Amino acid sequence: MKTLRILFSSGKVVFGLSVFLFLFIGSITFTALSSKDPTEMVGNLYDSPSKEYPLGTDNFGRDVLVELIHGIKTSVIVGLSAGILATLIGTIIGTIAGFTGKWVDNVLNSLTNLFLVIPSFVILVLLAVSLQKRSLFLVTMVIGITSWPWTARAVRAQASSLKTREHISMAKLNGKGNLNIMFTEVLPYMLSYIFMVFVIQSAGGILNEAGLSMLGLGPENTISLGVMLSWALNFEAVRTGAWWAFFPAVFSIAVITFSLYLVNIGMDEVFNPRLRK
Amino acid sequence: MPGNPITGIVSKMASGGAPSDVLEKLYNSYIQEFGLDKPLYIQFWDYLVKVLHGDLGVSFSLYPIRVNEILAKALPWTIALQVPSIIIGWLLGNFLGVTAAYKKGKFDSVLFPFSLFISCIPYYCLAIILLYFFGVVLHILPTNGGYSMNLVPSFSISFILDVLKHYFLPFLSIVLVTIGGQAVGMREMSIYELNTDYVNYSKSLGIKESKIIRYVFRNAMLPQITGLALSLGTMVGGALIVEIVFSYPGVGTWLFNGIRQQDYPLIQGGTLLVTMAVLTANFFIDIIYSFVDPRIKASQIEE
Amino acid sequence: MKELLSIRNFKAYYQTSSEEVRAVDGISLDLNEGEILGIAGESGCGKSTFSISLSCLFPPPLKYISGEIFLDGIDITKLNTQEIRKSILGPKISFIPQSSMNALNPTIRIRNFAIDIVKQHEPKTTRENIIHRVIERFESLSLPKDVLNRYPFELSGGMRQRTLVILSTIMNPEIVIADEPTSALDVSSQREVIELLKIMVKKKIMKSLIFITHELPILRQIADGIAVMYAGQIVEIGSVSDILFNAHHPYADVLMSSMIVPEKGMREKNLPSVSGTPPDLRHAIKGCRFADRCPEFKKDCREKDIEMVELTKGSFVRCIHPLRTKK
Repeated sequence: MKTLRILFSSGKVVFGLSVFLFLFIGSITFTALSSKDPTEMVGNLYDSPSKEYPLGTDNFGRDVLVELIHGIKTSVIVGLSAGILATLIGTIIGTIAGFTGKWVDNVLNSLTNLFLVIPSFVILVLLAVSLQKRSLFLVTMVIGITSWPWTARAVRAQASSLKTREHISMAKLNGKGNLNIMFTEVLPYMLSYIFMVFVIQSAGGILNEAGLSMLGLGPENTISLGVMLSWALNFEAVRTGAWWAFFPAVFSIAVITFSLYLVNIGMDEVFNPRLRK
Repeated sequence: MPGNPITGIVSKMASGGAPSDVLEKLYNSYIQEFGLDKPLYIQFWDYLVKVLHGDLGVSFSLYPIRVNEILAKALPWTIALQVPSIIIGWLLGNFLGVTAAYKKGKFDSVLFPFSLFISCIPYYCLAIILLYFFGVVLHILPTNGGYSMNLVPSFSISFILDVLKHYFLPFLSIVLVTIGGQAVGMREMSIYELNTDYVNYSKSLGIKESKIIRYVFRNAMLPQITGLALSLGTMVGGALIVEIVFSYPGVGTWLFNGIRQQDYPLIQGGTLLVTMAVLTANFFIDIIYSFVDPRIKASQIEE
Repeated sequence: MKELLSIRNFKAYYQTSSEEVRAVDGISLDLNEGEILGIAGESGCGKSTFSISLSCLFPPPLKYISGEIFLDGIDITKLNTQEIRKSILGPKISFIPQSSMNALNPTIRIRNFAIDIVKQHEPKTTRENIIHRVIERFESLSLPKDVLNRYPFELSGGMRQRTLVILSTIMNPEIVIADEPTSALDVSSQREVIELLKIMVKKKIMKSLIFITHELPILRQIADGIAVMYAGQIVEIGSVSDILFNAHHPYADVLMSSMIVPEKGMREKNLPSVSGTPPDLRHAIKGCRFADRCPEFKKDCREKDIEMVELTKGSFVRCIHPLRTKK
């Protein structure tokens, strides 16, 4: 409770979180309540914005605004889910490596570094290409699975610095098992940190989804911000000047990731006193 | 991915109106040529052996052109685009970051949120915006390709100018985003460095600010070099997608074409090339790092 | 003896938007050529802040309030930052920092740092000349000159600290301020640094030294005079033997008797024989600042601010009921 109050004392956290939640909850509410079908063709190729369709229509003559709201929802869900997955895998590997030390650490750390150095982009492309069907779920899994090394690296550093703390030595002397200590003495101390990493991973997930979609490897049969961009590019929206077909998606991606980064930086300033002015 | 790519090649020929028994023969010969009749593990082994000999196979979509040939043409464009833009963006970003940390005040309060925002925009989004603004609205820069279609590549001044014109926007997209990301990280590192004892000691000896900034710059840059090595893969990935936005004739665009046409040899070759390139770059960064940080050098000599 | 430094009623406070801490609150002292002055006091008494403010750079939130610091007859508090950097710091006033671990830039060789320092003040001197001069300095003080080719992390703690001493004095400063330069060292390295400093004063590499410490044995080894600080002020100045065995101010007396037996971690402990803590410097204090804790407390101690008075030549005390004086 106290942590939350400190957290909300940061303007950056409050602002970032408000923007993010507004977009996320807003898009969920809209898609749940509105019967508007984003795939319905309501106009012609790239109709300019009008009273009825404030953001015009896309290459299939569909309402861009409705698409955008659906796209935001999908992208944020992909980002959050991939973020959870990446954080989960990374935290497990990082905690075990950092806390256990010795050869376990060596093996896990080398593995992490290997995956860090091999461009995750490449693994992402190869995995996505080899999928028989690219459902939203599978694409999310692929993104989550390829982005854990960052988390693992960050968490490992934290866990190994915690290892030497007194309360952990005490727990060891009291005969607690390693697993027990990890859950009761190590993880709770890293929670705020892990949450910060999760926020960044979610932003990364949204960007990765967009990148994959631009390559033509995005989720099939759904509308995400990346899929919108990919249509806009493939159907030459940019070169024909149909700004409404790509700019809203570009802007949304930037705003969503910016708001998440703000939350992260705000938290960093709160928990990391040397950055405070 | 669904669909047998050989069917794709053959059906392309069928549209030319060849009789069906000829197509059948053709199909079988292709299956043999690509080794698709063999068990999967033998296919994989053959591929590995070929790759180790530097042979990436034949493209499906551009049959009978070899993947090596396609990538050899594409690679110079990609290198010429990415290496300078990432290096320049990295240097400028670090320079801005250290200046913001040192000057604080207005400079920092303007630069920091701006860098942060820029760094949140993925490369390709910024690329799309720049493309639209300069290429379509202002109409002052070309919107696609590496050079104009009506020109023949040569070392003439007009051709070089044309190439530079096409180069500018993709280059700018990568530079700007790199600056943003680096400035944010460097600012934080520098704030930390500026509070160290050696800065205070140097000040107390009357050493001037510009010199102290240089000390801080160098020391705060060391973690940034490591950071560059680690994030290079992500950077290159983003930059490859920038190529797609501009239809730039580099590896990224070819990879995109490969994906669209289910050209597996091309996809495999392209991703392999990117991986090798990133690993090589990492290797060089490691070497450079050991030169810049005396502590690493010393520990290596001792070993 | 020539007077080098003369400080008059100098005040420097920590000012933030919400509060003000009167860390250095009216210090006056004189320093002569060839003199080594020790400054003693508990942590938080303002001795470190005082040493920092002698650079006249006043890093925020530290702020100059009032008073004068005369160096060769010039009031350096009136100079701007540029002038101070150029002509005061280095050639006139120099500092030897507390901890040696991070005091040197980790990625630059000692030689190059020395060159940077000299070049700053003598832009026209060539690198060869500077290196020559520095080597000479190392040899004349019988220190190994190959230190110059090393990085800070390649030196032992003691060697690093002696290197700092040489680097700080490379411009032959008039006044060197050393803030606990030996606190992080083992006993034998401590002695080496102290010896080095004494030789340098004797050889006139530096004209005078202000040595800040809480370790009394070190002051006995090195200092000519001692100033005792309490709550942002100097409460007594005198010769080493006077202060040690014949202190007039009750606080100085208590401090000295507690410091005669040096204990590890003494800085953190309260004084053994008096109760209470030093006053909160965020508020104005009327009368004697030690009054609350003073064993000799009399009614008039709180009536008005106490001024320094000269008891005998060179011996000043800020007390209206000093100890060990004939009445």
